[in-house]
Amino acid sequence: MTKILRQVAKVAVATLVVVGSANLALADDKEITFSGSGGVVGKVSKEVWFGPFEKATGIKINHVAAEAKRMPQLEAMVKSGNVLWDAMEVSASDYPLGVKKGLYEAVDYSMVDPDNKLPADTREEFGVAYAAYSQVLIVRTDKLPDGKKMESWADFWDVENFPGPRALRGRAEDNLEFALLADGVPADEIYKVLSTEDGLDRAFAKLDEIKPHITTWWTSGAQSVQLLSDGEVYFCPSYNGRITTLVSSGIPAEIVWNGGAMHKSYLAIPKGTKKLKEATEYVKYRTTSADRMREYVTHLPYPGWAPGLFDGMDPKMAAGMPTYPQNQAVQFSASAEFWAENLDAIQERWTEWLLQ
Amino acid sequence: MSTKKKIRSTWLLWPALFMLVAFFLIPTLDILRASVYDPEFTTKHFTKLFSSNVYLDVLWRTIRLSCIVALICAVIAYPISYFIVQRPRKQQIFFLFLVFIPLWMSVLIRSYAWMVVLGREGLINAILIGLGFTDAPVKMLFTTGAVYVAMVQILLPIQIVTCYSAMTEIDLDLMRAARILGAKPWQAIRRVFLPLSLDGTVTGAIIVFMLSMGFFITPALVGGRKDIMMANLIEFQVNQLNWGFAAAISIVLLIGTVLCVIIIKRLSKILTGRLVGGGNA
Repeated sequence: MTKILRQVAKVAVATLVVVGSANLALADDKEITFSGSGGVVGKVSKEVWFGPFEKATGIKINHVAAEAKRMPQLEAMVKSGNVLWDAMEVSASDYPLGVKKGLYEAVDYSMVDPDNKLPADTREEFGVAYAAYSQVLIVRTDKLPDGKKMESWADFWDVENFPGPRALRGRAEDNLEFALLADGVPADEIYKVLSTEDGLDRAFAKLDEIKPHITTWWTSGAQSVQLLSDGEVYFCPSYNGRITTLVSSGIPAEIVWNGGAMHKSYLAIPKGTKKLKEATEYVKYRTTSADRMREYVTHLPYPGWAPGLFDGMDPKMAAGMPTYPQNQAVQFSASAEFWAENLDAIQERWTEWLLQ
Repeated sequence: MSTKKKIRSTWLLWPALFMLVAFFLIPTLDILRASVYDPEFTTKHFTKLFSSNVYLDVLWRTIRLSCIVALICAVIAYPISYFIVQRPRKQQIFFLFLVFIPLWMSVLIRSYAWMVVLGREGLINAILIGLGFTDAPVKMLFTTGAVYVAMVQILLPIQIVTCYSAMTEIDLDLMRAARILGAKPWQAIRRVFLPLSLDGTVTGAIIVFMLSMGFFITPALVGGRKDIMMANLIEFQVNQLNWGFAAAISIVLLIGTVLCVIIIKRLSKILTGRLVGGGNA
């Protein structure tokens, strides 16, 4: 038996050596590894951000597309002391999660934004907001009753005047807010109401009304687009950027900005990276280069807050941005803090509610 | 075989054993550890799990769905496997090839394909409306029925292959012997062939059952709001970095699966006994 163990140990050591040297081979001073979205976002980023960044600074970006499970991977890396990413995208809901677990380096604002030009609510201790995205109601305009226009969550809930199949996302976030808006709660009081037991009951009671009319509860953004384009549902909240896919494939669809949930995406630096300076360099470039950002939003309507972004932007395009003043005014700002605090408990109730 | 030879031949098992220990046994024990140490010994994850109805409710739904999928697969695969076994050797290879083709496509793509077929404006509804059978589209997608259809289609090849390979082991002369001894054709099948092939069928059904217990993409894509699987709950907790709680749910799922497999085995043993000794046809 000891012979077996010795054999096993030999194989294990050999494996470790191979894996270890593979990591060393990647270590190159002028290269950072960036974990960002894949798909079309990755393709556009390569063109608009990575290439020009390398030209400007000489730092090459090795992009790894992480579609999902980014946080579990990050935690595993930080815990094992083997951090493979130097910078990463973090969604609004994942940001507080990583802060709680201590997975990010603190942002050095004397380097990223020395003149304090970024809006205060985009400068977080462990991350910088680089893009806004909204979950907004998307309407198939060809399926609307004649002469009617869907303008709010109250309309979405109104199945008499707006008949037709609908879908919602299969998670509690945003949906509870939408329900309260439909129930007449003013946008600036949503989270105050949701923080109380009565308010939570009120949101679920409102959701009870719409539940029988929801065809399906989508789990990925791509699925929501598919549902709308197949005519599986006529009215469905999705990410604002997804409208581009629909419109470009000739499907008459429209965004209802009113009542949309605006989220921020962050750039963060995994704790323990060996390229802290280079990574910070990229965070600065990605969040403050207005001309690059203007180019980026011609491909994807996910703008950031680089000073002067809207200067000289085509007005028609500007009107499609979630941060465009008129659009921002009618949306609410989704509270990552509220969900970081309450998601576990609410999600359990949400699952129970779905099963009823 | 001499003892020396025996020992030498067990060497052949070592790579597989090593893989099992390194990539299955150790991680499983680690999950068990994570469910009760966080970081000190605690039962809080299991207390939380059992204090809510959600998790056991979803476990029950997962078991029920997996049992039904395994049963449907077994019933459909049995005659198909029997048909293939009866063919000449060359035709068998051709038919098995046909069975294998769908296995080369990803589960995700096959699930999306079912959405196109079963949808409101999908293939079946277009045909039904075109032929005038119905005016309004029939709701097929986003129902539990759609989950059965898609999962059976995805898992059927596995059942057929397992069942087929068990059937090839059966000496068809035994059936002839039964006939010579006076059994009617149906009796020969029921009391000789069926009991001999049942083991393979049950093995296939157990594999299908276990695979179903871990499904989550297909039910999420084609199912209704109540088609939530244990794996969906685990995925959510992992993404929230609640490793301990995710581990506790996994352990409950594992224990549930093992108990079910034991029960299925027991039932099949009883059934085989009944068939062999069974009364008059």
